[in-house]
Formats: sequence, C-alpha cells, structure tokens
Amino acid sequence: MTGLEALTVAKATATRLSKVRRLNALLTPATTVRKALVAQAKAAHPSGVLYGMPVAVKDNICTLEFPTTCGSKLLEGYRSPYEATVITKLKAAGALIAGKANLDEFAMGSSTEHSAFGRVLHPLDRTRVPGGSSGGSAALVAAGAVPAALGSETGGSVRQPAAFCGVVGIKPTYGRVSRYGLVAFGSSLDQVGVLGRSVHDAARVFSVISGRDARDNTCEDRDPLRLPTVPERLEGFVIGIPKEYFPVDLHPGVRRACDRAIRALKDLGAAVRDVSLPHTAYAIPTYYVIAPAEASSNLARFDGVRYGNRAEGVTTLADLYRRTRGAGFGAEVRRRILVGTYVLSSGYYDAYYRKAQQMRALLAQDFRNVFDRGVDLIFTPTTPTTAFKAGERTKDPVAMYLADCFTAPANLTGVPAMSLPIGRVKGLPVGGQFIGQPFLEDDMIEAAYALERAISATEEA
Amino acid sequence: MSVTPEEVRQIARLAELSVDEEHLPELAAQMSRIVDYVAQLAEAGGGGAAGGDHAKPFIPGPDAVKLRPDVVAPQPLEGKVADFAPAFRDGFFLVPKLGAFDTGEETA
Repeated sequence: MTGLEALTVAKATATRLSKVRRLNALLTPATTVRKALVAQAKAAHPSGVLYGMPVAVKDNICTLEFPTTCGSKLLEGYRSPYEATVITKLKAAGALIAGKANLDEFAMGSSTEHSAFGRVLHPLDRTRVPGGSSGGSAALVAAGAVPAALGSETGGSVRQPAAFCGVVGIKPTYGRVSRYGLVAFGSSLDQVGVLGRSVHDAARVFSVISGRDARDNTCEDRDPLRLPTVPERLEGFVIGIPKEYFPVDLHPGVRRACDRAIRALKDLGAAVRDVSLPHTAYAIPTYYVIAPAEASSNLARFDGVRYGNRAEGVTTLADLYRRTRGAGFGAEVRRRILVGTYVLSSGYYDAYYRKAQQMRALLAQDFRNVFDRGVDLIFTPTTPTTAFKAGERTKDPVAMYLADCFTAPANLTGVPAMSLPIGRVKGLPVGGQFIGQPFLEDDMIEAAYALERAISATEEA
Repeated sequence: MSVTPEEVRQIARLAELSVDEEHLPELAAQMSRIVDYVAQLAEAGGGGAAGGDHAKPFIPGPDAVKLRPDVVAPQPLEGKVADFAPAFRDGFFLVPKLGAFDTGEETA
C-alpha cells in the first residue's frame, strides 16, 4: 500500500463510520475520527505489517488521541495521560486507530445495554443486542466499517459479541497480550482481544499486539505469535467435543450449526472425540463471585479525587467518595461492586470467595485432563442462543449472566479461545468456539482458517 | 431474601457508594437473586470432587512475578496531572477537609 492509498483508506473509513452512526457503536464524533485518521495515515510507517489498516478500539483501552470513558459518566471526557501498550504496538505496525467503540460500562455486561452513552444496536436487527461487553467493536466490524477492532475479555466479552454479530473474536491466553493501559475490571481474568471480519484479519492484529511488555508483570516473556499458514487439511488434529456444552435446552439452530461444523472438521481430516469437562455448570457462579470481587477492589480507584468527574457541592471526603461513585456508576456497575464487597466481607469470604477459587482450580484441572489425553483443541458453541432482543434480560441479572456460560470457563482458567461464524438461524449469526492449550493460539487459528474456508465453500455451493 | 435492605446499606457504606433509600428494597432483591445463584458453589466440591476443599486456588499468568531492576524510573506521562484530575493545585490533589471523615456515616 502506498501513502496515497493509506490516505484513501483513512478517508473511506471515516465515511463508512459516519454511515453506521445509527448503530451507536462509535463514541468518537465523526469529525474527530476523520481528522485523526487522516493525520495518522500521513504519519504511519509504510513498512509496518498493518500499514493503513483501520482498527477501532474499545473505550476501556487508553489512547492519547481520544478520550477514554469506559462507557461511564464517571469518566466522561477523561483523557488518559498515557496510551496502552497494544495501541503503541498497533501504531508501530502502521495501523490507524479509528476511534473508540461503545461498550457496557467498565466492560460489565453481555449486551452493550449498560453503557452510559446509550445501547448499541445489532447491525442486522435493530431490535436486538450485539452482545457485550465489546458490542460496539463487534457491530463496527460486522457492519463493514472497519476490518478489525480491539475488544477486551473478562468473561467472554469478545467472543460472545463476535458470535452474535457474525464476526471472528480471539481471546488470547492470559499473559499473551499486555494489559498495560487496559482499564482493570477483573485483573486475574482481563485480556485484550481482537474482533475481525475474517480469521486472517483478526489473527494479523492479534499477532501484532501479542508478546512481552516490561510494563505488565502478568505478561509472559514470549515473542509475538507467528501467524500460521492456512492449512489444506486438518489431519493430525484431535478435536474434543465436550458434552457439557451441548445441553438438552441448547437452541436447536445453534446445535444444527455446530453439528454441521463438526462434520466439516471430520471431512477436513481431524479426529473428533467426545470429551467431558465436568465442572462446566459451575463456571458462571464461580465467575460471578471472582469477577465482582476483583471489580470491587479495582473500581475503588474511581473516588473523584485523582481522575474523572466529581460530585458537586460535597462537604466531607466521605461524601465526596460516596456521592461521586453513587452518581457516576450505572446500575450494573453498582450491583457488581456491592456483590463483590459482599462476597469479600468478613463472614462470607469462606462461603463464597474461597469456594469460587477452589472451583476455579477444578475448572482448570478439567481442561488439563482433556489436553493431557492427546486432545489438541476443544470445539463448542460460543453461546447457547443467537442474539436476543434488547430489554429481554435487563430485568434479571442472572439471565444476562448465563449468556456467557460457554465463554467464561476459558477466562477463569486462562486458556485461549476464539469464536468464528459457523452459520445462521433465521438470519442471525451462530458462533462456533475453539478452545486451545495455553500459548498454542496458532493451533486454534490454523483450525479456524480451515473451518472458515470449508463453511464459506458450502455456503457458496 | 438472603440479603436484606439493611445489609445492602452496610455493604454500600463499606464500598463507599451512596445508594438511594428508595432503591434499597430493589437492590436487596437483585443481590439476593445473585447471591442465591452463586450459593450453589457451596453444594459443589466438598470432599467429592477431585481436590475438593483442599484444591489450591488457581491463579493464571506467570508462575513467578518478575522483578524489575530496582531503579527509580517514573513513567513519563503525555499530559499534565492537572489536566485529568478533578481539582489540582501546587502539586496536590484537592479534596474537602479531612476533619469530618472519621464518622463512617453518611452526612448528606
């Protein structure tokens, strides 16, 4: 790509982004995005592997060019004094940061209905949700406005919206990508992830942001991921199908799409084997103890003293804290802070938090048992249903939480996972999920390349 | 209900979060729903499952924390603290006077 072409891409991207404004997926104003894209296209390094590629960024990842709001009133207009390592790496590779994507407030949610700046609409059906919490990122990619976007995962916030919107979503191994500059929610769970229009687009961006970072002690000292080549066949791959991910009440359309995908994997030469992950049903209860507990601690920093907005007319420091936080956080964030404080409080710690940590160890052991028996990858549905209607689950928090029942296990245990489109039911996309072994994302991507090609071949036939 | 409105009030105080009195019953109901749901963890594990009560907590990430060289090297900020702090003067974050903090009670 030449400099002139990069400039053309930048301008065309700005136009496409303004055409999809009705989705409410982008928080950055159109004129700001256009100016920033043009300036970046002029400054970008032509030798970079992502030269001229526009990438939208979830608004809980710190950028210098745009405010970082986390979808919260508390941080409305907040400008970070530094940028995330993943942003620095993207820019060094020549990518263009195409504005900040809407999200559930502080990444807490599964529908992007919990943003202080309004809900994001599903690109294919405005009455439905795009999933969450990286719903803005997923909608922008699905609508064709950008080829890829950064998201973040704590319990499935990249893969679940990727499945709902019909795009590819990658959740790296915990420690594969730097979290420096990602606003912390659940520090033992959070990872930056990538949404892409195709396996290749997502994998290219993932490869660039992966690798060591001295600024994040939980980031492993490893080289960036080397992109695998697109395989002709999957001979030699052993793929496990866990029965716990195919319960009797699984949406029949989702089941059919998975069955077709499994047949395609067999046709590609992979050995498919039934496996068991016996503690799967406990993943969501475990997650909804650990994630709120960590969130209640991480979000203590938003006190109205150091950054963000502050309540007016307060007279004491206690008042400043309480009223800033009470007015600044939305209902779901308040609920999670309260639940997190509750499960960590004296008298309840053993009953909830310790139990959840023990269950987390059992969930990790489940995966090790399967992988130790020669299974390379696990294949499952990404979500139990297709995209649900807006407002359908906002009244019952637990119903909303269950949208992540097939994604949260990978976050709790740190293993990599990705979702790719495997079909449609009544026009709505269905996602299939590969779960891999720690730091072997290349296996997962290789299998996804092959499955993506096989599925698009049958759709064309 | 496993969580009472009075407990919500106490927890909110611990979390330094103001909660409207009229929202307490609804919050108590929602928190009860969540807490009752996660309580199924108590029935799981026990002695039965592998590891059970003695399972070591699982923490992902590197086995050992890497130590950085022990040198003073502040991260350079691109902006001034005054630009992002709500109130800042002469190198200090400004807050209301501390004298009235220790009551632990809501004053508003």
